[in-house]
Amino acid sequence: MAGLALCGCLLLALAAQAASGASRAWWAPGQGTPLPAFTAYDNEQGQLGLLNASGELDTRGHPFFEAIGTNGRACVTCHQPADAMTLSVRSIRERWTATSGKDPLFAAVDGMNCPNLPADDPRSHSLLLDRGLFRIALPWPPRNADGTRIDPEFTIEAVRDPSGCNTNAAYGLQSANPTISVFRRPRPVANTKYTTHQNFGVGPFIGKNGMPSATDPVTGRPTSMNLMADARTPTLATQAEDAARNHLQITGTLSAAQLARITEFERQVYVAQVSSTGAGSLVEPDGPPAFGPRNLLAGDAGVLGNNTTRYVFPLAGKWVQLPRTNNEADNARNAARESIARGHDVFMFRTFWIKDSMHLNSVGLGNPVKRTCATCHGMHMTGMDTANGWMDIGTTNLPWASEVPLNPWNDAKPQMPLFRITCKPGVKPHPFLGRVIYTQDPGRALISGQCNDVGTIVMEQFRGLAARAPYFSNGSAATLRELVDFYDRRYNIGYSELEKQDLVNFLGAL
Amino acid sequence: MHAHRLTRGGAWLVAGWLASGAAVSLGGEEPRKNFVSCPIIRDTASVPCWLAEYEGELYFLTLQSDVTAPVTPPWLGHRVLVEGTVSAEPRICGGVVLKPVHLSVIAEPDASCNTMLPAEARYNLTFEPPRPPGPSKGRLAFDNGPSAPPAPTSSTRAFVVPYDFDGLVGFNHARVLTEILDFARAVNAAEVEIEGYRGAARLSNGQTMVEDATIGKRRAEQVAMLLQGANLKSPSYKVRWHDEPASATGIDDYLSRRAVVTVRPR
Repeated sequence: MAGLALCGCLLLALAAQAASGASRAWWAPGQGTPLPAFTAYDNEQGQLGLLNASGELDTRGHPFFEAIGTNGRACVTCHQPADAMTLSVRSIRERWTATSGKDPLFAAVDGMNCPNLPADDPRSHSLLLDRGLFRIALPWPPRNADGTRIDPEFTIEAVRDPSGCNTNAAYGLQSANPTISVFRRPRPVANTKYTTHQNFGVGPFIGKNGMPSATDPVTGRPTSMNLMADARTPTLATQAEDAARNHLQITGTLSAAQLARITEFERQVYVAQVSSTGAGSLVEPDGPPAFGPRNLLAGDAGVLGNNTTRYVFPLAGKWVQLPRTNNEADNARNAARESIARGHDVFMFRTFWIKDSMHLNSVGLGNPVKRTCATCHGMHMTGMDTANGWMDIGTTNLPWASEVPLNPWNDAKPQMPLFRITCKPGVKPHPFLGRVIYTQDPGRALISGQCNDVGTIVMEQFRGLAARAPYFSNGSAATLRELVDFYDRRYNIGYSELEKQDLVNFLGAL
Repeated sequence: MHAHRLTRGGAWLVAGWLASGAAVSLGGEEPRKNFVSCPIIRDTASVPCWLAEYEGELYFLTLQSDVTAPVTPPWLGHRVLVEGTVSAEPRICGGVVLKPVHLSVIAEPDASCNTMLPAEARYNLTFEPPRPPGPSKGRLAFDNGPSAPPAPTSSTRAFVVPYDFDGLVGFNHARVLTEILDFARAVNAAEVEIEGYRGAARLSNGQTMVEDATIGKRRAEQVAMLLQGANLKSPSYKVRWHDEPASATGIDDYLSRRAVVTVRPR
């Protein structure tokens, strides 16, 4: 009996270890360890769960996990399992410390503020180390998919260039190959059935402006254009090719077999938070069906959330009012769960005035519109846009974008470039920003060349947030609280302190 | 692509505002109200109302609903061209109801259009709005039905693409463009003929607003570009346009702002 009990304890311990993983270890290219069917990774708000729906993955020789380019990086370098298949600034800083900045992560091509800077100096990598931003170098003027030049509706000039890259003779706008450098966060490569869905809102013409949708070059079908911040590549395969060329500096191109293995992996990997430091397990059998990667695997993709059949994040009425007992730990857990449920209701039902947001107020709802967070973040299970999802909420455009106040009492200096966009004569002015727009990142406009797209960024999925700070495409919100505070300022919402905390707890549980 | 201009614009026709100098009777059985004004938004306990003032009267334009609404709300920060018919319905949010009504946001910003009125109990809606201010109740506000099925493959079909004043393709054109594309593919179209028109609007004060001089051309060329951009490349394209604006009467002038796309089967 004692032996049985001991054996049982050992099995339980092993099971707990397998379930928790309890590790945030850096996944190095070519390390060759298998990626289990399920792993839980610690983060500051609990644990993130990573689910391989196809079972344990042998990463040996796998092109997602091997350094297939010339700079020593693999896809996994910037899409770390512990960081919800993207990269937290915490991991970036840990990696800098562990390798004295020698890790391929800090490659000159995009891991430095500009490739001409001294590689060993952390100041050369300040945007990556401070805000988790990689340099994205885009041709100017933009090109169509067939390589032909687009005649842009606006002119652009860099009026502030802390990295020096936009004004550099070799890398900038006046170089032999005119290029604009913007700085963005990598996106999670997980839950991709949602980011690449073919359901509601996807058609041959973009529902927000009537332009032709980008198509899958293999199938010819229109795509949701929701993969990247500027929607410049339409499919997992074209994104992989773009990343291999620009971030891994591959020689030649990915082979068909490599592409197939990369996209096959990306289609079956799911991430979401599975436990909360305050609320405990998020994935108990009778718990809310919104949480955890298994519910994401089971969910319907590309469905517009509502408040009858499919909530954006369905809680099924759980955790609204939980009992109190003499057990303090249980009471604290239940209070944390109630906070998550209240945060859900703030997200779904708390109305506020959404004003001057391009591709929201301009698409038939009026300006302003009295709605909720879930109006824009409406896709069932992810909170993305179901339709083509680029919008301007002011994260990169002035006057709302976060800027360092310049005055004699402040030693801090702006880190982000600032561009002046001038809409050409004959083109309608931007409806909410006029003819001259100042922006840290023109976003979709660098691809479309359209004035109305300046500063529009494709919204991201809400999953694994606790594992991957900072937030927004320019890393301007260091924490979920800063993210909520941005919205509160931008839309003059007037959240109470309780509403803010509940919303933070809800977002952290996703 | 074959392109040509059907008629030349007269020297007196310049884009923008033209004063006729005399008030006109708009005719028709129902009183029309056509004017340009700042929109006003009034909050209610449920969804906001959109209103506008004209000659001392307050008019109700529409409610906030969703993208399926036949009338989409205007924008603060811009004036709006209102082309409506006075309805006998009871006032909504204090405004005389214009129904049907067509609204065109004026492109140039106007910061003076900034009136937001708070909710007042006396202006609360007396009916349930088509769409609550929060998430939908499992459906879109208006059921526009499925797209029309393709006509018999032997027949030529014409599609009308409507526009706001001085407008080009926008968020509300994806549906008609998709219908054109689907039909052209279904009939293996031999030819797509696109004809762009330039409209005008007669206002209740007797003035006439004329669309931009090049709008007919730009409408026709843009529709051709969009269809080709959606990979409809096998048909031949005829692109034509009218430089002269339609004559404005004050009655359904919005119909003059259009492109007509005729798809001929192979």
